[in-house]
Amino acid sequence: MSSFEPKIVAFLCNWCTYAGADLAGTSRYQYPPNVRVIRVMCSSRINPAFIINALLEGADGVLVSGCHPGECHYTSGNYMARRRLVLMHRMLEYLGIHPDRFRMSWVSASEGAKWAEVVTEVTEAVKVLGPNVIKREQVWMQQSL
Amino acid sequence: MQDAYERCVYLERLGLFGCVQCGKCTAGCPINYVTTQEEPFNIRRLVYDVLNAPGEELASEKHFLWQCTTCGTCSLRCPKDIKPRDVVMNLRSILVEDGTLPPAIRDVLKSISINYNPWSLGKEKRAEWYKGLELKDASEAELCLYVGCTPAFDSRLQKLARSAVAILQKLGIDFGIFGTEEICCGNEIRRLGDTWSFDALREANTELFNGCENIRQVMTLSPHCWNTFRNEYPGLKAEVLHYSIFLARQLASGALKPAKEFAKRVVYHDPCFLGKQNEIYDEPRALLKSIPGIDFVEFDRNRENSLCCEGGGGRMWIEIEHAPERLANIRVRDAVEMGADVIAVACPFCLLTLEDAVKAMDLEGKVQVMDILEIINTTI
Amino acid sequence: MASKRIGVYICHCGVNIAQNVRIDDLRAFAAGLPGVRVAQNYMYMCSEPGQEMIRKDIAENRLDRIVVVACSPRMHEPTFRNAMKSAGLNPYCLEMANIREQCAWVHKDADVATAKAKSLLAAAVTKVSLLEPLEEREVPVTKTAMVIGGGIAGIQAALDIADSGFKTYLVEKDASIGGHMMQLDKTFPTLDCSACILTPKMADIKNHPNIELLAYSEVTDVKGFVGNFKVTVKRKPRYIDENICNACGSCAKYCAIAIKDSFNAGLSKLQALHIPFPQAIPAAYVIDPLACRYTREGTCRQCEQVCKDLNAINLDMQEHSIELDVGTMIMATGFEPFDANRKPELGYGRYENVITGMEFERIVSASGPNQGQLLINGKKPKEVVFIQCVGSRDKTVGNEYCSRVCCMYTAKHAHLVREKLPDAKITIFYIDVRAFGKGYEEFYDRVKGEEVYYRRGNVSEVYRKGDKLICRGEDTLLGQALEVPADLVVLAVGLEPSPGARELGQLLKLSKSPDGFFLEGHPKLRPVETGSDGVFLAGCCQGPKDIPDTVAQAGAAAAKAIIPLAQGMVKTETMVARVRAEACRACGYCVDACPYDAIALGEVRLGRATKTAAVVNEVLCKSCGACSAVCLSGAIQQSGFTDDQLLAVIGAIGKEY
Repeated sequence: MSSFEPKIVAFLCNWCTYAGADLAGTSRYQYPPNVRVIRVMCSSRINPAFIINALLEGADGVLVSGCHPGECHYTSGNYMARRRLVLMHRMLEYLGIHPDRFRMSWVSASEGAKWAEVVTEVTEAVKVLGPNVIKREQVWMQQSL
Repeated sequence: MQDAYERCVYLERLGLFGCVQCGKCTAGCPINYVTTQEEPFNIRRLVYDVLNAPGEELASEKHFLWQCTTCGTCSLRCPKDIKPRDVVMNLRSILVEDGTLPPAIRDVLKSISINYNPWSLGKEKRAEWYKGLELKDASEAELCLYVGCTPAFDSRLQKLARSAVAILQKLGIDFGIFGTEEICCGNEIRRLGDTWSFDALREANTELFNGCENIRQVMTLSPHCWNTFRNEYPGLKAEVLHYSIFLARQLASGALKPAKEFAKRVVYHDPCFLGKQNEIYDEPRALLKSIPGIDFVEFDRNRENSLCCEGGGGRMWIEIEHAPERLANIRVRDAVEMGADVIAVACPFCLLTLEDAVKAMDLEGKVQVMDILEIINTTI
Repeated sequence: MASKRIGVYICHCGVNIAQNVRIDDLRAFAAGLPGVRVAQNYMYMCSEPGQEMIRKDIAENRLDRIVVVACSPRMHEPTFRNAMKSAGLNPYCLEMANIREQCAWVHKDADVATAKAKSLLAAAVTKVSLLEPLEEREVPVTKTAMVIGGGIAGIQAALDIADSGFKTYLVEKDASIGGHMMQLDKTFPTLDCSACILTPKMADIKNHPNIELLAYSEVTDVKGFVGNFKVTVKRKPRYIDENICNACGSCAKYCAIAIKDSFNAGLSKLQALHIPFPQAIPAAYVIDPLACRYTREGTCRQCEQVCKDLNAINLDMQEHSIELDVGTMIMATGFEPFDANRKPELGYGRYENVITGMEFERIVSASGPNQGQLLINGKKPKEVVFIQCVGSRDKTVGNEYCSRVCCMYTAKHAHLVREKLPDAKITIFYIDVRAFGKGYEEFYDRVKGEEVYYRRGNVSEVYRKGDKLICRGEDTLLGQALEVPADLVVLAVGLEPSPGARELGQLLKLSKSPDGFFLEGHPKLRPVETGSDGVFLAGCCQGPKDIPDTVAQAGAAAAKAIIPLAQGMVKTETMVARVRAEACRACGYCVDACPYDAIALGEVRLGRATKTAAVVNEVLCKSCGACSAVCLSGAIQQSGFTDDQLLAVIGAIGKEY
């Protein structure tokens, strides 16, 4: 299991976390390569279906990261995302998916080091959980056996 | 290469890379006050040396490491949030591991492994302080009175332990003691750098306390014991309180009401392990101020500016040679200048060091050192 | 759907990308992806030859979609959009894969970085093939600016904008403009009188035909966007009409209520009815409602009687709010000196002869409580100690930064002490002396030559011994602790953000850097811009700085704020929400989700029939996409970030390459 390298899809808002990830790059903070970033303008754009879809399409974990509460570029988008996505944990449990496969974080444009930390933490956490078995390819493989 | 890496990790753990050599640690260090110009204890310099040389090499040359009282002023004053005191404890660990120790320290550590106390006394001697008192076993009460080694063995401090019992009884509080089963908390042992013995003590104590389901609170007499229970015993289930906090709560709830007059001028000396290290400044003062007739005064150097009495960090067992003056003497002299009748303390070590100073300065009859416990006990 | 003709351009960024990502592997991989007609690489894609390469391929290979595999789109998206535009391609048919910040710079292993780059590239190609051309729109700009904060930064910015011909509102929370600079005695390193160089600018504010000064006022709400902000300003009652009051001062003689004089750093008293300082602008008196006997107890009104002829005093004045339309805004909310009570070991608040730098300024100022005489308890101090870095470079109080002005103002203070007390012993404890500005090092040298003892090391504690204070520090160059006696201890307190700035920042959606000051758009290249278009930063609200830097930054902020006003039009968001009315079920979820009230339900024509559906006001829409996330029928979609596009990207990223 120690050789397992999870794939994690991260949805980042353009104004805070995406900028924070840019700063992590500029500052040359090294972090695990497991996270793949999809840029959106605001974390409120994230439909819960995206998260389920990512897990079905091959991700072992999903991260949504936006501006700190009170600092949303669109005033209140991150609150909306938080309200909606907090329920996600319970929904994942209901679906039989470990809720730790999904995580939210707040990383501002000036927090490059924090972005590196978040990526490291998420990667470690998903590593512990092992491969996500509801990936389509996995389901197909089992069926074909 | 690996060594260099480990050294980096070690330095980073101590946070030393941020040091800007401002010297606030040295300037605040009470031991720097009392060491000589020829052989100064300079903690800023020590941090600089550690940054530039491997710890092992360094430790062997620094016999003055044993002078530190681990009062924590250096860590408190550091603007970069470095803990220079931990550097001292770290270097002491290296010396303990090597076994290159002053004889007095070696005896203390030996006694810990044999007797589970630092005083080279058999554990049955712990029964002395409560001779003639009918006390419950700690397992039968919600509050455990943890007296600690020094108050259990030292004849002067046994009065302190008995005052605590008297106060708890007068308040009608259900409490018990471990008696001869009580073992050292390990605070001073850890500060002396013996992390191995400390771990053993921590495990034994954790098992002892957590094994008694009834215990919900532990009250310590010494801020030193409280400090380690509070900050270095992550597995402890019971809430541990220094007596000043416990009694201040009783005072606030109205259960404790000092009624008899104590018509003396009293100055309070902040113990480092209660004040500077754990930020308890108001509770002891609240207790003293609640006493009728008291004329409460403050040292100029009080609270976070208080002066250490040199009783901590293992200094109960080792003396600085050729020190120009003891800090306890400065403290006593300041108190006399203020016309204080009583120097109140909230720590057994402070009580001993300050009382020694009073005797050495021939001021007996002029000024008296008392623990807050003793004062409170005379007023209820 | 006709198959797309995609061009992929991979940038080496010199060695920045090329040293950790295998460019040739990546190009071969790109060439094999569906729809990719051209895959090229180049040393610097953002250079003119790089852009020309794209333009040429668009023409020769009839490319209709472009993927640039390079740095962050936050950096160069506009560059490549412009290149596409000039080649006749819709600029929104662009997607960037960020393999510099997200691969090359953060993963040292080339295998790992290249594998991740492939995955990001594949996702970008997937997305670009689904992108639709978008139209850019423009709206007219309200040709008015607002500056918040009336210190030297705000004053300078307001004057610069007004001088270029645009109406400017200057909002100041206190009764007079002037800010902290007005409190200073002299300025370093030239020793100019601070008030003398500031008051002409304050007078200009008052007299400028394009400036409307709103003193004793606070911004309470901001709506809208660049070019069209709607700002609500609360006008606090000053109880004296500033347009009538001639500052004769007769009324103040009858006011018996004393309050702390905050202009004098609390070192003296003045009346509840007062003028903040003689050169105040507006030159009018004000009544402190927390102290005035009438506003507190309902009796007195003596002052009204005194002013019967002019009738400037109106104790029944009420607070009211006004709404203003402005095109751009400048934040100039300044700083607050560090509260020295947070360093109790230095004795501030315990010993009255321990004072802060700002208190020292007032004491030595000719307009201060001592008329400029340096007296402590009525006596001239014989020994003066300065302690630097109080509340700066100090993690324990949460201020890791250097406040940048304290070294120099302490040098200036030492010089002023020497000037007033030729025999005093002056000691300065410091960690490092930062004399970085023009003429600063020279000034520091001059002060050292005036028998000022600089001691390298800082003071750990201050205590009393007899009638002296003892400053105990270490001279780290000697390696010796030393105790310096003092009659006066001056703490060089650092700078913190203004307490009110936090709330205001949230109204304007400004980010803060970890030090608590407002975050600039880019640390090097966008120093006065912010994440909010049309909002700019000037002065200490962005970080501690001295007066020359503040004035320079204020000018820069003014120039930036003028640009949209001069252009007269601003582009609106392009990636706005669009509604497919036939799918809309008119549930109104999107209406509730929109933070900008840009969506409403309305009647729309569908062929010959009409139907109720969501309608987007594209001028108000700010392209956040919140509406798309709540739509159950997928009818409302944010352009450029539609469900189809994002789901395809998710699928592409999930695959192994």
